[in-house]
Amino acid sequence: MSEQQGRQRVDVTLSINGKSYTRHVEPRRLLADFIRHDVGMKATHIGCEHGVCGVCTVRIDGRTARSCLHFAVALQGHEIETVEGLSADGRLERLQQAFHEEHALQCGFCTPAVLLTAEEFLAENPSPSDSDIRAALSNNLCRCTGYTNIVKAIARASGREGEAASSGTGDAS
Amino acid sequence: MIAPGHKGNIGRPVRRREDSYLLRGEGRFLDDIAEPKDTLFLGFVMSPHARAEIRGIDASEALALDGVVAVYTAEQMSRLTKPVHTVIDFPGYRGTPRPILADKVVRFVGEHVAVVVAEDAYAAQDAIDLVAVDYDLLDATVTLEQADQPAAPLVHDEVPGNVMFESTFATDSFEETFQAGELVVRERFRKGRVAGVPLEPRGCLAILDHVADSLVFYTSTQIPHLVRTALADLLGLPEPKVRVVTPEVGGGFGTKAQFYTEEVATAAIALDLRRPVKWVQDRREELLTSIHARDHIIELEAAIDATGRIKALRAEIVTNAGAYSTYPFGCSLETTGAARMLVGPYDIRHYAYRARSVTTNTCPSGAYRGVGQPSGFMAMEGLMDRIGRKLGIDPAEVRLRNVVKAHQLPYTNVLGVRYDTGSYEECLRRAMVLADYEGFRARQAAAGDSGEILRGIGICNFTEVSGAGSAGWRVRGLTKVPGFDSAVVRIEPSGQITLQVSQAAAGQGHLTTFAQVLSDYIGARAEDVFVAEGDTASAPYGTNTFASRSAVAGGGAVIKAAETLGRKIRRIAAYLLEVELDQVELRDSRAILVDGSDRGVSFREVAEVAYSMSGTPLPQGESYGLEALEIYDPPLATWANAVHIAAVAVDRRTGAVTIEDYVIVHDCGRVINPMIVAGQIHGGTAQGIGEALMEEIVYDPEGQLLNANLLDYLMPTAQDIPDYKLDHIESPSTDALGGFKGVGEGGVIGAVPAVTNAVADALARVGANINRTPLRPSYLLREIDRAAARS
Repeated sequence: MSEQQGRQRVDVTLSINGKSYTRHVEPRRLLADFIRHDVGMKATHIGCEHGVCGVCTVRIDGRTARSCLHFAVALQGHEIETVEGLSADGRLERLQQAFHEEHALQCGFCTPAVLLTAEEFLAENPSPSDSDIRAALSNNLCRCTGYTNIVKAIARASGREGEAASSGTGDAS
Repeated sequence: MIAPGHKGNIGRPVRRREDSYLLRGEGRFLDDIAEPKDTLFLGFVMSPHARAEIRGIDASEALALDGVVAVYTAEQMSRLTKPVHTVIDFPGYRGTPRPILADKVVRFVGEHVAVVVAEDAYAAQDAIDLVAVDYDLLDATVTLEQADQPAAPLVHDEVPGNVMFESTFATDSFEETFQAGELVVRERFRKGRVAGVPLEPRGCLAILDHVADSLVFYTSTQIPHLVRTALADLLGLPEPKVRVVTPEVGGGFGTKAQFYTEEVATAAIALDLRRPVKWVQDRREELLTSIHARDHIIELEAAIDATGRIKALRAEIVTNAGAYSTYPFGCSLETTGAARMLVGPYDIRHYAYRARSVTTNTCPSGAYRGVGQPSGFMAMEGLMDRIGRKLGIDPAEVRLRNVVKAHQLPYTNVLGVRYDTGSYEECLRRAMVLADYEGFRARQAAAGDSGEILRGIGICNFTEVSGAGSAGWRVRGLTKVPGFDSAVVRIEPSGQITLQVSQAAAGQGHLTTFAQVLSDYIGARAEDVFVAEGDTASAPYGTNTFASRSAVAGGGAVIKAAETLGRKIRRIAAYLLEVELDQVELRDSRAILVDGSDRGVSFREVAEVAYSMSGTPLPQGESYGLEALEIYDPPLATWANAVHIAAVAVDRRTGAVTIEDYVIVHDCGRVINPMIVAGQIHGGTAQGIGEALMEEIVYDPEGQLLNANLLDYLMPTAQDIPDYKLDHIESPSTDALGGFKGVGEGGVIGAVPAVTNAVADALARVGANINRTPLRPSYLLREIDRAAARS
């Protein structure tokens, strides 16, 4: 890549949480960086920049996607959603409350992404088993919680006690 | 003080205060801080070679790139800062300084050779590739096995034999006792190399505050005060002019309890260029340069009697330090950690060890969750199983015969370390019931060994060193780790309470738990208590957060400060109420009479007097303000304990391991918040399961790291983790204030040995000897085949 190409910038207009944002950025600008550093919404985090950890999860046209694997310029005309948007319209409230009750977050770095995955999953699977939940969650790494309480929280948000919640004695929940 | 009959906040599963903002995505992590408009971004040029001489560096192409401001090499950097030099005050230690940028020689793949400074992060990345470094390649020393061989290239000329640390210990008449044993059981355990891998990589942001002419340094760390002291020293700054702030930290696990060269470079360049400077690590850098851990060989040899009692134990331990001794813990922490902790809950009276740390051309190793103990107990608990197999005694019974019994407590172990309280036998017996251990053994025997699925059960009964005070760090020679922690409690004029602690959380929920402790000990409503930490401008000095120390050291400091300030509140209240001091107690943010009349004054009323905001003067001799600073230096260590039992199924056709049952009975003394304690155990256990089954940092023979990405460095997902049966026993510490013991590391310490022993138990049925981790299918299949070939 020559220097000239490296510094070339274009206007990119993205719809994020229903609002339109135009920024003058390089064509190689990643969606994650556009959202975070150009628009300034910081709930979407970056964990690996190669599409594995899931920390940068957003919605593109209603489907969860890795914002570190997309160029912003390629997503003009598409609807992007982040946790900020879903929080604002109340769609996440039940999950957030369940995560709080079940202690399903520790450092909180992966949490916005896990919430987006869980919300999409519950919309399609309103009555999941724990193993369904674990399969859906395998898209997102969490290094703090060991997943146990995330499974419980998603089960709780679906309207039932998680199977994990009933096992053991004296385990506070 | 807790008023009699008061239902405290300690011990309740109080939901976390941190959650509300984190769940909205409003947690502000390092890279979420809005940097000033004129911020410069760093990109580190990393060595692609494990060992080489640097013949020259040509940065001209990089400097010509649009947006690049400067390129620093060792020559420029060495004028701005001293190298990092970890001094461990312990016989047998030979540390070497580490330059901030490699000077003439590189010693591991990923070591920084130069640093690019650019107007934006993308330009910095482009410029990294344009810095031309001319290397003269040298043979590298990569493995633990290779490092102390005569032919091994020296990593540092001044470290003969590549042995950076060596320590020996033996009880009196050890050899005679060992020789007198009826039988000897021995095994060599090989613990693979792993990394902590917090989901938030490291990063820092240095901003010059021109008004105060000081450096404000945001960094994703667990040790803000230690970073501040080290930065000021290396950069020659007055320490009062350095303010270190930890934002939300996206996981640490010890990985961020180290002081890193990138932090020095970022601050040095900001000071040199008089501009804000930011650096955020990418995942490849994280895996190449953030501390690695484990990579140990532990050989154990026990002289036993016919009943399985250990008469004498010998350990030969080698740990891989990597290329440099890390700051502040040095290269000896893992080594002595394994050697000093592995006797654990067992009544062993004769012990000898030789523990060495060797340097290799690999990433430096450091203090990842568990430090030495997952390996130490993998060896010790693996040995217990082998004693059982040798004697035909159930391995649980071998443990019960050797364990320290309740009536022996307080117990001084063979290294002279005191266990004040514990529940070593009780935890084991309860875990065996929860796991239906006897039933499992009966089913296992009935199933025979011919099926495609082999089942095994593994136990880990262990102690967890936690909350070490100054004595605990001095005994291991660590001069830059103070050991105490501190708390400032201040009742504001409003009557609300600010609590500043010297800790720095990375997900442990300190805002919640310290409020629980303070509210109980000062007699306040929890909602009146506000906790802050992690900013050296406001938080009192301390040792910060690692090694499971916050509940013990921070909790003790909070209790002391609450008691000191509580006495002042009571003095002022007694004066206002015109009663004797002993007639006043504190409850629900009020100072009330003990007579049950509910007559009293609120903290706010007391504060108005203390702050001279009321018509009533202070009593004579009393000073203005309502604030107390207290420092707490815990004992040498407090000792939590636990038992993990894992039941696994191994598919002998594929080598795949499924965890079918998992029981944890743990004892961390008095529990502040059982919900958070359970969370720590869940998370640690998941990391331990990952470490046992899949996680491994892999270097090739040339010292190239083969899996510096998350596709190839496998970590457990939700599908790899079983449900746990978790039970608590509380044996409050009598040596530590408040009775708290640490709980941050037990999960990983218990899981690695329990899972390893379970798989080893399953495969022992077909004659395979499993003594290394990770327990990958390829390894298990190979051992199954080898066993079949032998029989």
